[in-house]
Amino acid sequence: MSIKVEIGFNLNGVARRVSVPADLSALRMLREELALTGTKYGCGEGECGACTILVDGATVNSCLMFAADCDGRDVVTIEGLAASKRGERLREAFVKHGAVQCGFCTPGFVVQATHLLEKHPRASADEIQRGIEGNLCRCTGYRKIVEAIADAAQTVK
Amino acid sequence: MGATDQVVAQESLIGQRIPKMDAPDKTSGRTRYIDDIDVPGQLHARILRSTQVHAKIRSIDTAAARALPGVHAVITARDVPWQRPIGVAKDHLPLKTDRVRSLRDEVAAVAADTAEIAEAAVRLIKVDYEPLPILSDPLEALKPGAPLIHPEPHGADGSAQLKPGGPVAFTGKPDNVAMTFDYAQGDVVAGEAESDMVVEDTFRLHYVTHCCMGVSGVIADFDPKGNLLLYSNTQVPFLHKREFAELLGIDPGRIRIIQPPIGGGFGSKLDIYPFEPIVIFLAQITRRPVKLVFTRAEEFLASPTRQPVLLKLRSGCKRDGTLTFRSVETLHDNGAYTSWGATTPFVMMQTISSLYRVPHCQYHTTAVYTNNPYAGSFRGYGNLQATFAVEAHMDKLADALGMDPLEFRLKNAQDPGEVTPQGMQFKTCGLKQCLTTAAARGDYQRKRRTNAARWHDGNPIKRGVGIASMLHVGGGAKIYPSDGCGTILKIDDFAHVTLITGASEIGQGSETVLAQLVCEELGLPLSAVTVVNNDTDITPWDVGVHASRTTFIAGNSAIGAARQAKAKILGAAAAKSGLAAEELDLKGGHVVRKAGGERVLDLGKFMRSLHFADKAQLVMTTFYYEPPSKHQDKQFKGDVSAAYAWASQVCEVEVDMDTGIVRLLKVTGAHDVGRVLNRLGIEGQIEGGVVMGQGYALTENLMVEGGITRNPNFRDYKLVTAPEIPEMDISFIETMDGEGPQGAKGVGEAPAICIAAAVANAIYNATGTRIYAAPFTPENVYRALRGAAEPPAWPAA
Amino acid sequence: MSAIERYCAPTSLAEAVEVLRGGDVTIFAGGTDVMVQSQIGKAQFKPVLMNIRRIAGMGGIRDEGKTIRIGALTTMTELLDSTLVRERLGILRQACDHFASDQLRNAGTLGGNICNASPAGDTLVPLLVLNARVVLASKPNGSVEQRTVPLVQFFAGPGRTHRLPGELLTEIELPAPPAGFHGTFFKFGTRPALDIATISIGLGAVRDGRTLRDVRVAYGSVAPTPIRGPRTEAALEGRTVDAATIEAALHAAAEEVHPISDVRASDWYRNELIRNTLRRMLSHVHQG
Repeated sequence: MSIKVEIGFNLNGVARRVSVPADLSALRMLREELALTGTKYGCGEGECGACTILVDGATVNSCLMFAADCDGRDVVTIEGLAASKRGERLREAFVKHGAVQCGFCTPGFVVQATHLLEKHPRASADEIQRGIEGNLCRCTGYRKIVEAIADAAQTVK
Repeated sequence: MGATDQVVAQESLIGQRIPKMDAPDKTSGRTRYIDDIDVPGQLHARILRSTQVHAKIRSIDTAAARALPGVHAVITARDVPWQRPIGVAKDHLPLKTDRVRSLRDEVAAVAADTAEIAEAAVRLIKVDYEPLPILSDPLEALKPGAPLIHPEPHGADGSAQLKPGGPVAFTGKPDNVAMTFDYAQGDVVAGEAESDMVVEDTFRLHYVTHCCMGVSGVIADFDPKGNLLLYSNTQVPFLHKREFAELLGIDPGRIRIIQPPIGGGFGSKLDIYPFEPIVIFLAQITRRPVKLVFTRAEEFLASPTRQPVLLKLRSGCKRDGTLTFRSVETLHDNGAYTSWGATTPFVMMQTISSLYRVPHCQYHTTAVYTNNPYAGSFRGYGNLQATFAVEAHMDKLADALGMDPLEFRLKNAQDPGEVTPQGMQFKTCGLKQCLTTAAARGDYQRKRRTNAARWHDGNPIKRGVGIASMLHVGGGAKIYPSDGCGTILKIDDFAHVTLITGASEIGQGSETVLAQLVCEELGLPLSAVTVVNNDTDITPWDVGVHASRTTFIAGNSAIGAARQAKAKILGAAAAKSGLAAEELDLKGGHVVRKAGGERVLDLGKFMRSLHFADKAQLVMTTFYYEPPSKHQDKQFKGDVSAAYAWASQVCEVEVDMDTGIVRLLKVTGAHDVGRVLNRLGIEGQIEGGVVMGQGYALTENLMVEGGITRNPNFRDYKLVTAPEIPEMDISFIETMDGEGPQGAKGVGEAPAICIAAAVANAIYNATGTRIYAAPFTPENVYRALRGAAEPPAWPAA
Repeated sequence: MSAIERYCAPTSLAEAVEVLRGGDVTIFAGGTDVMVQSQIGKAQFKPVLMNIRRIAGMGGIRDEGKTIRIGALTTMTELLDSTLVRERLGILRQACDHFASDQLRNAGTLGGNICNASPAGDTLVPLLVLNARVVLASKPNGSVEQRTVPLVQFFAGPGRTHRLPGELLTEIELPAPPAGFHGTFFKFGTRPALDIATISIGLGAVRDGRTLRDVRVAYGSVAPTPIRGPRTEAALEGRTVDAATIEAALHAAAEEVHPISDVRASDWYRNELIRNTLRRMLSHVHQG
């Protein structure tokens, strides 16, 4: 077993201290050590985006991030967005536009879309499609996800 | 309480855009899928899979694995002599005994304190294999003298002796043929003799896989009395209860299946696969709950695929455009064990015999064992493959006649009221409207002419349009002894409804549409309904989520229970109000006058008054709906569904002749859905199905070579991503099916079915080159355009 | 999975190269290559795991007149967002725009892309066109030393570079492109990003009407490493781009690319793509 590393970081607005194996991914730390199961394992290889989280304001695939690298940083997961105003418009838009079917990919999309709209508040449909190209969905065909994000872009000013 | 004269106005819910009831939880990350569930005291399982494609197992040494700290059990077939074969043909033992027949074969399994320890233990298991010749081509497997993949029978415990009454593993076939299917209507020889045009081609359809975003998983937990609780994402919980009971030799009543929210189904969970029994065995042996979740690589390697098919089609028509005959032979690569893929002929023969009017038809399938992955059921279930061939020939025959392909299709399209030679009753049939609507909105005829004129204009970027239709069951499919669904409905003291349905939710929105139908009957808002659908101890029987049946069958079941409840309420309300029951209705949470809509009683208050009366009445009803369809006879004839559904799609593509890249620009679809219930839900199903069809046609290819899957990951197995989706124009043709709930028919599989066919026709329109093998990846298309591809060929007799 | 015995996250270069001097170190920044390779069993962690993301002074993009310097820890997103890169290093920006996904661009670093040394590496082809050099730091004799290696000499084979175990790639140096220099990057794929390149081509030159000078051509996924194409360059240098020049360039290209067949494409198709793509790129020049 690998040695453990002590880290301290901000998680969804709350300061946390955790001890994690050096080779543990941030995804597994969130799910297994911190009981935050909203972030999903989809592939473990950074190809599907189901594990997307925000770190220091930018989205990354938590399956490829070392948990130890969270030290000193600001981490936000879907649970953090769900509890905040920031995520509210997007979540309402996803619900209203039928952008959710089985829902497994949804947390990853909501987190990615949050970042996308913060960086590009007036993103066009094309820019939205490019912006979510790292998130896979097997159920919806993406159309309603794009519509939901575009709608949320309109309403957030 | 008394009557008031206030009128209650309530819009019908039918056809409205109703958000999915579980969407708020799903967008918050609160929903707990199988991997998010932990049972106290659980152990983690990992499976050792074969490293050989085909080999005898000489020995398995588990000593080092057993000795690893944290390991609770290491099992092989020897440890579970009570195991029984599973699967469609019962040729599939969960833990392999004397040999492995494919790379996914399960050889041993470990239960340990953590997944890491289980994984480390698996690596310590030493298996001594004696390689056998690999049969990765069904044609090789058919040759006389080919090694048998399932040779003589032996006991399930690996012993050479068969114990009387003991489970047996084999199929007892003298060759590698797993199954054959034959169907005939009319006389194809006579049909050919009447034909003025005949075309014959061979088509090849490839391996793809479901790629549910949530990987497979299961948790098995025995209680001290030996009752089994299984957390399973099965799409057929009641069928599985019975199968697991047989497997364990216990009373099915002692098995309870809870279905956590599923991360995608698409037909992948309609059969039992070895990992579930294996986890159950580990739970039995360790007396602890045991959880197994696949890695994504394992999901690619061990999940069933869509059925690959080599298909020879010979079709004919008369000079006036009337279809005369279709004659089909297919070769199905059955893989090492038989799952639902082998039975796709049930659906394929329907398309061959009845997509457009064809008097004479002959169909034959040979499914052959190989050492390749086995195929299961996958959205469309053989219909994508059959439609690809049929619709290619519709275009080819039309072109041979010099007839417009749309007119050719319309000429042979059925009308409502027709009964096909196979016995399918098309009580409603919107095929003609689907064709004309899709063609008109997609500007098909004009674009087709313009594109064809540009074949030699020197511009490497071409455009093409293609049209294809599909026929699929839309009112269930009577392939099991019952095609029914049960509902229990209760209305509480606050007029809150609990709808307990046997029908599972697999992401398609069944819970929302069932609630919608009940609310429509009872005049209540969606917020007044809770749906319970995921516990076999609570819910009544339903055969399962397959064949696009849930809205139709479970919908009628829910409506039946709701109408009984309504009758009970209105009967009691009549007694109370002095009005006749026929004069009353339920609207906006009230009992109202049917004629003018005036409020008579507040429903919640009335429910309480019924409950707390001297002779208490609770409103609880049940209803079991069995559709009026028939089992097919031994010739596969019969009206197997209570309704049928159609769709036509026009696909517009851009082809870059210098690279072979085909971009799907636009899909214009018209769907005969009977009636739109939840407009938001049905659009989502269609958009998702279109993109799944796009993947099948253009980007997805599970590359299996020599029994080895070369691309078990998302890097090299390409799912369609957001920037690649086409523009979509979707129309609904509402034929108002008489049997369907509020007139609706099933739609879950339809939108995926004809995309590949329409895209192939569009590529021809763009380039003048017809492609007979999917997928139309850039290299495959480029080779075809350059004449550097071998078209599929049917083996010489 | 091998066990890690020591984890460190140094904040200074001196500290980091001191750790490297001890040997047996797995380096990571964004983790996007290291984690994947560990997961798929392609590589095992060494006993020491070093996070270099916190080392001061290894980020940033600086214009020093004759040279543009990019810190090895610069992410793909930072390159995409940089005005300097957009205005002066357009061909590099194009590659970053076709790189993976937003999530991977936010974490992936330029240094990491170089050290991963994939023959298909998206940024590597533009960097070769831009005559990039890599700066390597080490501490062989008690103090931090540096050496500079032209990128074209840095790749040793698929996934391998000439970085010594004790060295850390700290910076990428780019000679400022000459006035009028214009570069185009083309990556073959059906998607805007995500795809691993089946083939890629970088073409840069100073355009004088339809005549090309200071021509640089680089190819990806057609050799064990990304390569420059000196024969293609020779066929174009100082020439007016017309039908004959294009044909000569295609002929030269065919001689110097040697693609293999793999799960993504066959060698025959890759050769076809190189020819058709190069022809198309040059035809755009021809048409002005």
